[in-house]
Amino acid sequence: MTKIGIIIDNYHLNSKVAEFLKYLKTISEIRLYIEESYLFSSEDVKCDEDIFFVKAKGPLILSLVKHIEELTSIPVINSYKAICLAINRFLNSTYLRKAGIPVPDFSLNPEGISPPFEDYIIKNIVDQKNYKFKPIIKKHHNHLMVADERALNEVNGTKEQYKYKYYQKFIKSEWEYKLYGIGEEVYYYKQKPVLINPNKLETRQEIPENSELKEYCLKAMEIMNLKITSLDFHKSNENEFFLTDINSTPNFNYIKDGHKVVADFLIDYAKK
Amino acid sequence: MKIGILSKRTNMFTGKITQFYEQSGHTVSVFTLENLVINEELLKNDFYILKSKGLFFLYAGFFLDENNVKVLPDPYTSFMQKHRIHSHYLLRRTGLLTPDFYMASLETFRNQLVLSDFPLIIKPIMGSGNRGVKKINSIDDLDSDNNEILYMEKFITGEHYNVYFIADQICTLVKPPLANEHVEMEMITTPNDILRIIKKWRNYLGEKALFGHLDIVREEKTNSLFVVDLGSFPEFSNWKCEVSPVEKICNLILNHVVK
Repeated sequence: MTKIGIIIDNYHLNSKVAEFLKYLKTISEIRLYIEESYLFSSEDVKCDEDIFFVKAKGPLILSLVKHIEELTSIPVINSYKAICLAINRFLNSTYLRKAGIPVPDFSLNPEGISPPFEDYIIKNIVDQKNYKFKPIIKKHHNHLMVADERALNEVNGTKEQYKYKYYQKFIKSEWEYKLYGIGEEVYYYKQKPVLINPNKLETRQEIPENSELKEYCLKAMEIMNLKITSLDFHKSNENEFFLTDINSTPNFNYIKDGHKVVADFLIDYAKK
Repeated sequence: MKIGILSKRTNMFTGKITQFYEQSGHTVSVFTLENLVINEELLKNDFYILKSKGLFFLYAGFFLDENNVKVLPDPYTSFMQKHRIHSHYLLRRTGLLTPDFYMASLETFRNQLVLSDFPLIIKPIMGSGNRGVKKINSIDDLDSDNNEILYMEKFITGEHYNVYFIADQICTLVKPPLANEHVEMEMITTPNDILRIIKKWRNYLGEKALFGHLDIVREEKTNSLFVVDLGSFPEFSNWKCEVSPVEKICNLILNHVVK
């Protein structure tokens, strides 16, 4: 029986993977590594798993993944590189643009220096914790300025981390295009942007395959070494797609039989 | 040439290299956290010097490197030296000894560590030097309000050395434990086993380590040398060897860029 190590935190364990684990237990042997209760010792990690699946992105999780990759040849999905790039908006924008994937213009500015574009969204730079996007919206002289509450807290909050803001040029789009990439399979949806309707699932609908989006999705996965991901795209008035967000721990429960698709993918990958 | 310097300050070593290059006819712009905007505007300089390893200087380094603007020292190697987890595995790959480490929440440490695991040394995951570093003799020494994941290394008891190198020039100093680079230190003749460590390190990194420093501890019990901290661009405030570090480093960088 395939042995799978699940590297996870309490948040995902308690609210995102119940069905997935239930199914996985019927086809594999599972060992859980839970960030909040795991003592990671660099001299004492013994693993004999066939594959690891990572469903979290905290500092201990990343160190454990790095350790496994450095000292064993066991595949880890997603890899250290994939998670680090996915959680860092500035870095993934830099690398994806270099690879030819259209991303909105972006700039990292110290507090007090305005961004070089008039309509923008301020996002947190490193998206490592588990919380939801809380937009603060301002309109000024017909220009739109949106800020994620988390980003402002990181700069101005009680636990200030730094004095920089990540600005992304705002691409007005009627729909947000949501893609899931699992191995070589791509799943296509669209929904009204959260700024228009905060309940994103209310308007979500499956859409037919789109070759342009598929190419961007698979290329982004290749560049970032992602095996399982979700991506958000906006479509500009000029009908150009822009990748606005990429995620290394997608909620696959939104795909039909997502828990099975992911579990079967992991088992197949381990057998390769 | 148009040279950019990424540095948390404009004086000290940065001031000296600015002066050196300006006197040699180059144009120098220093980018601190007050004026560093990271976007295409940065691409107008010919090359950059990554003097500081703070996160946003590293981001600028990655951005420039991805956009084919030369950055020295190499930003990826500098990041690996700044990040404790990366530096641990980098040192292991180089074949050098480095202390084992633990990571966990405070509660997990409280439940799973035993007295014989101590003393440990708590450090920030991203950091170098002595900022945020403290010796921990028992679990009670940890801040009980801390709900973050903590990083602690095994504390190596023994004599501490601060070893600078600029190309093949090596300057070894005995330093007080947990002190920063700037305290008064006594220079010694570099022991052969430390020479071998520096050689190994430079050979492994090649042109990605034209200069730098290693903090090394000689373990009392075993006489083994452990590398406990790395620096890609120290201030060289205790450099006591013959060559001028400013002139030597500026020329090394320039030669490397021209090559």
